[in-house]
Amino acid sequence: MEKTQSHYNRIAAIFFLAVAVFFAVYARSVEIGTWNEPGPGFLPFWAGITLAAMSVALLIGSYARKAWPARPSFFPKSDSWKRVLATFLSLIAYNLLLNPLGFTLSTFLFLAFLVKFIFPQTWTRTLLVSVLGSVIARLLFINFLETQLPKGFLGF
Amino acid sequence: MDIFSHILLGVQVVFQPMNLLFCFLGVLMGTLVGVLPGLGPTAAIALLLPNTFHVSPVTAIIMLAGIYYGAMYGGSTTSILVNIPGEAASVITCLDGYQMALKGRAGPALGIAAFGSFIAGTVSVIGLMVVAPPLAKFALAFGPPEYFSLMLMGIIILIYLASGSILKALMIFVFGLLLSTIGMDAISGTQRLTFGILELSDGVGLIPAIMGLFGVAEVIANVEEEMKRDLVTAKVKNLLPSLQDWKDSFWPIIRGSFLGFFIGILPGPAPVISAFSSYAIEKKLSRYPEKFGTGVIEGVAGPESANNAATGGAFIPLFTLGIPVNSVIAILLGAFMIHGIQPGPMIITKHPELFWGTVMSMYLGNAMLLVLNLPLIGLWVQVLKVPYPILFPLILLFCLIGVFSLNYSQVEIALMIGFGVFGYLARKFQFEMAPLVLAIVIGPMMENNLRLALVISQGSPMIFITHPISAVFIFITLALLISPLVPWIGKRRQKLQEKVEGEEV
Repeated sequence: MEKTQSHYNRIAAIFFLAVAVFFAVYARSVEIGTWNEPGPGFLPFWAGITLAAMSVALLIGSYARKAWPARPSFFPKSDSWKRVLATFLSLIAYNLLLNPLGFTLSTFLFLAFLVKFIFPQTWTRTLLVSVLGSVIARLLFINFLETQLPKGFLGF
Repeated sequence: MDIFSHILLGVQVVFQPMNLLFCFLGVLMGTLVGVLPGLGPTAAIALLLPNTFHVSPVTAIIMLAGIYYGAMYGGSTTSILVNIPGEAASVITCLDGYQMALKGRAGPALGIAAFGSFIAGTVSVIGLMVVAPPLAKFALAFGPPEYFSLMLMGIIILIYLASGSILKALMIFVFGLLLSTIGMDAISGTQRLTFGILELSDGVGLIPAIMGLFGVAEVIANVEEEMKRDLVTAKVKNLLPSLQDWKDSFWPIIRGSFLGFFIGILPGPAPVISAFSSYAIEKKLSRYPEKFGTGVIEGVAGPESANNAATGGAFIPLFTLGIPVNSVIAILLGAFMIHGIQPGPMIITKHPELFWGTVMSMYLGNAMLLVLNLPLIGLWVQVLKVPYPILFPLILLFCLIGVFSLNYSQVEIALMIGFGVFGYLARKFQFEMAPLVLAIVIGPMMENNLRLALVISQGSPMIFITHPISAVFIFITLALLISPLVPWIGKRRQKLQEKVEGEEV
């Protein structure tokens, strides 16, 4: 079945409704206060209620209107999801490896992976970009700008 | 002090070697990100913000402002040469600019874009000098209810001008308000939703949010499929427009400058809207409207002037009210706070060197841009040839370093990745990101002003209507919210939406 905007709106409405309810309930635990003397929970509570009301409106709207324009499929190409997922995972991996491996090495691996596997380039190009990229970034940020990036167990 | 001694003060600030250097770096970076598609001024400013911590606030603001208006210059280059707008404000320049390039007139097109931008930049700097100080004095009378209503009006104008669905934009704004309540409450000191994580008690960081929403999400959307580009490879020559070109462009540039400046003051994607409006006006006024789209120079001169002037106008609410009108200004506001400057109407009086220094640097920066963009155009064409498969890992790396070097915190990198996922999905679901960014910045201010106003009025929300200035803001807000329901206005707004849809605000 063709996905239309109404499907998207429905999913979004449910997501925001859940967020809104969570904040509104949470706000009660940090003291909403009174109108005379609003407490730390005042804004989260009322904003949560407002968001919940708007989510319901979006949900109702998605059923009320019949003629929705069809949307292109979620991923433009059948293999798009692989690249999207791989890029996200490489970001997470970088964050995890940064401390143990150190800035220079993890940057090299990060760049090499993305250049080689997202839109595959030749090995020469991959090595050129990742070596130059990590060395220049290291010199620029650690040696020149004196940013305190982790050096890792190898000490560089 | 009269205006001349102020200008003198500004000149003194600008010509300190450090400030000259940073002004140059700013416009250079701005041109670069303007040229590179897929990396907008918002992400670039967020990226460089951490590197400005060790310099004085005025130096930092000078550089960050340079990136903003520099990007407007750079954006025109890609529009004209590759038919890909480097950033959203240059979309309209593609229409006639690229056609001119196909006809072998890329030189004059680039030339008039640069000169037009320079003239417009000058007009908007003068406008800023004239309008901002008196407006700041007026704003001194504002109390909590006025500020709250003003911010509410600002955000509604932004949503009204920039968003396809007002309901969805409002939802994302309120969602942003909720996120902005995470952290320590400024009035009572209560920790809210921090789960004991130290980084969160300062609130959700603006920089990780922006890098995620505009940097990471943008890159991820671009790796879905390979981008194709056709570069007009013919050598660019004859950059100086002919006398006839100047005759044709003179009034479009002047009109574009004033139009851009005044639209720039309003919240929203001012550079984009002003460029579109300028194009529409020039087409309407032209003796040969049918030729627009085939490579007429007015279609480049007007919009390019307008988007540059708009960047100057956008600084007015920042310096007079301390309120951001778009994501870029929101980051500058964040920069003020990081450097310990309380934004608001007192900025110009308390920190004259900051205001006048920035204003004069914009003047100098525009001159630098002229030099950077005309003789060095060949260099930027080379930059354009860097293939995206090599470019995007580097952009991601910059985002990672930028966020990490802020607080040396891996929690913030994780936050950035989280915002990246959210931003990527939200685009697919057709939600805009600008209301979210603005909410994160002004959320705490709105909350404090709301609570103070309620304390002042002893719990009566009527205070927002009984104070006359506040009442005007509330009235405008309500009018904007109701007006799309009026069929005639609703249709016109929809037309505007089709033009600005999906643009970075």
